[in-house]
Amino acid sequence: MQKVERIPAIALRTRLLARLESVGLSLAILGFLAMLAIAPLFIKDEYILHLMVVSLFFGAQAMAFDFTAGFINIVNFGFAAFVGLGAYTSALLAVKLGVSPWLGFIAGAIVAGMLGFLTGILTLRLRGIFAAVMAWFVGLTLMALTAAMVDLTRGMRGLHVPLFLDTTARRPYLYILLPIAIMTYVALRMVTNSHIGLAFRAIGQNLRAARASGVNPTKYKVINFTLSCAFAGLLGGFYAHFLGILTPDIMHTKHTVEVLALSYIGGRGSLWGGLVAAFLVIPIFEYLKPLMEIRLIIYGLFLILTMIFYPGGLAGLFQGIGELIKKRRRSTESGE
Amino acid sequence: MEFSTLRDLFIAGILRGGLYALMALGLALVFGVMNVCHFAHGEFYMLGAYMAFFALKTFGLNPILAILFATLVTFIIGALVERGVFYPLRRRTKEEWVMNTFLLTVGLSFVLQNLALLIWKPKYRGVPIYWKGLVQISPTMGVAIDRVIGFLIAIMAIGIFWLFLRGTQMGRAIRAVSQDERGAMLVGIDLDRIHTLTFGLSSMLAGIAGAALLPITQAYPAMGTGPLNASWFVVILVGLGNVGGSIMGGFIVGMLQTFSYYFLKLGWQDVFSLSMLILILLFKPSGLFGTEVKGILER
Repeated sequence: MQKVERIPAIALRTRLLARLESVGLSLAILGFLAMLAIAPLFIKDEYILHLMVVSLFFGAQAMAFDFTAGFINIVNFGFAAFVGLGAYTSALLAVKLGVSPWLGFIAGAIVAGMLGFLTGILTLRLRGIFAAVMAWFVGLTLMALTAAMVDLTRGMRGLHVPLFLDTTARRPYLYILLPIAIMTYVALRMVTNSHIGLAFRAIGQNLRAARASGVNPTKYKVINFTLSCAFAGLLGGFYAHFLGILTPDIMHTKHTVEVLALSYIGGRGSLWGGLVAAFLVIPIFEYLKPLMEIRLIIYGLFLILTMIFYPGGLAGLFQGIGELIKKRRRSTESGE
Repeated sequence: MEFSTLRDLFIAGILRGGLYALMALGLALVFGVMNVCHFAHGEFYMLGAYMAFFALKTFGLNPILAILFATLVTFIIGALVERGVFYPLRRRTKEEWVMNTFLLTVGLSFVLQNLALLIWKPKYRGVPIYWKGLVQISPTMGVAIDRVIGFLIAIMAIGIFWLFLRGTQMGRAIRAVSQDERGAMLVGIDLDRIHTLTFGLSSMLAGIAGAALLPITQAYPAMGTGPLNASWFVVILVGLGNVGGSIMGGFIVGMLQTFSYYFLKLGWQDVFSLSMLILILLFKPSGLFGTEVKGILER
């Protein structure tokens, strides 16, 4: 009799877990996020906290990047420029009009999303490589413009931006960025788990089959691209009010490449892979900082080797291990 | 607007276009034959410039020999890179080849550029002149003789390369592979060899450009970025993989840039070029001259 009473409790728990899982928060990821949330309480070192903010920032960017690269198979090669656009929008609103950074960085997301929408509408009906190259040109143009409009942006001399808070201590900023990153992840995961995400995956895997089953590829690609750019802008807005100074360099292609490398090392189409990769790669690279060029050479080599030998990235590695464990367990069960 | 100014701008555009044509030719070739979207093309331009510099300063060769030396070395480096990087990738991937190679060359560009930075340090290395003198091209404009010879070298390289593609057995094999890979294989063409050869040749073309322009742009690790952007602009403009069109496109873009640099303020030239490109792609997605490579629109 007692057993019967216990079932609803278990069912409730599994239902809760299933619910969390449906927004991408599996136990492993919840654990990772909880660790991120709790760890800063015990870390006193400002430098380590700074590294954590930077890693989280790049990890979140890698997720937004992976949303297009891993799902509809289009590499937004102007990604850094969209981040920069969000940053400058928010910064200029704060500097010129005195808008609060808390509103400004949402405006940054909207502006970046709008430009993403326009770019997407113009290029996404073409083959993937065209969209990639066009987004790249858009990025180059944005950077050139930002550098050229000295009256507005102060160009290469750098724009001083008010911070979110009156402090430069890193811990509060980590707690501002963490919810943004979690929101980015959950929002993107919810989209990819919905029927829209199914369409994305169909387009990324087999365009002809997707079209045959009534999916309009251009529409879904534009939705995807716009969303990704909007999140890029949001993160850029955070960065502006975190760092306090902006130069057009934020839009440089090399930053796109960094984000790209992270998301590919993390594993395409996993979303969380880029986040984990950021927390592995960025601290290591920070440690190697005195070896400036060697660091970037390693970046390049990493990218090449991942592309040739391990296209699945970290996520593929984890999946492989998971499957191995499952297989082992199954074989022991059947052995008994 | 004076007529003489227009004429001088036109000449400057042609001179600039020769370089772009040479660079874009290599880019188009690699895409047409190997289906590789080459992002590290500028790095071979950089290598060419360095090689010419060292041949000139360290080995004390004369300019012509220095350029030939750069040509040879960039060809060898290109062929080695193909063997070391693209060959293993070709063995492993079948799907998404185009996108994968694009990212692979991004990594390659990072590696080559920072290797140069590591070995040669961020220092400008240039020679003031190859040959002394000015050429009075028009009554109002004199051009340094180096510039004219650089242009002539570019034109010559394009010409010789064209003859090579049309007239020789190997050139025909390259064109066969670009038209139909499977067919080429059936008639006994060694695909691996053609791919290595093609990549070497393409790198060589970029290397010649870098070497010929050494007196005008000094060698430094990040010097490839500008020419890379311009040559990508050209191949997108004329249609990806259209080898003949990219020569024409080089001159068009050279002209476009020269004029927009003269008439527009800094930064706005890029906006102008980009809007032109978007307009063209809107109405003619396969580029100005179209392309034989299938599937520009996703169909």
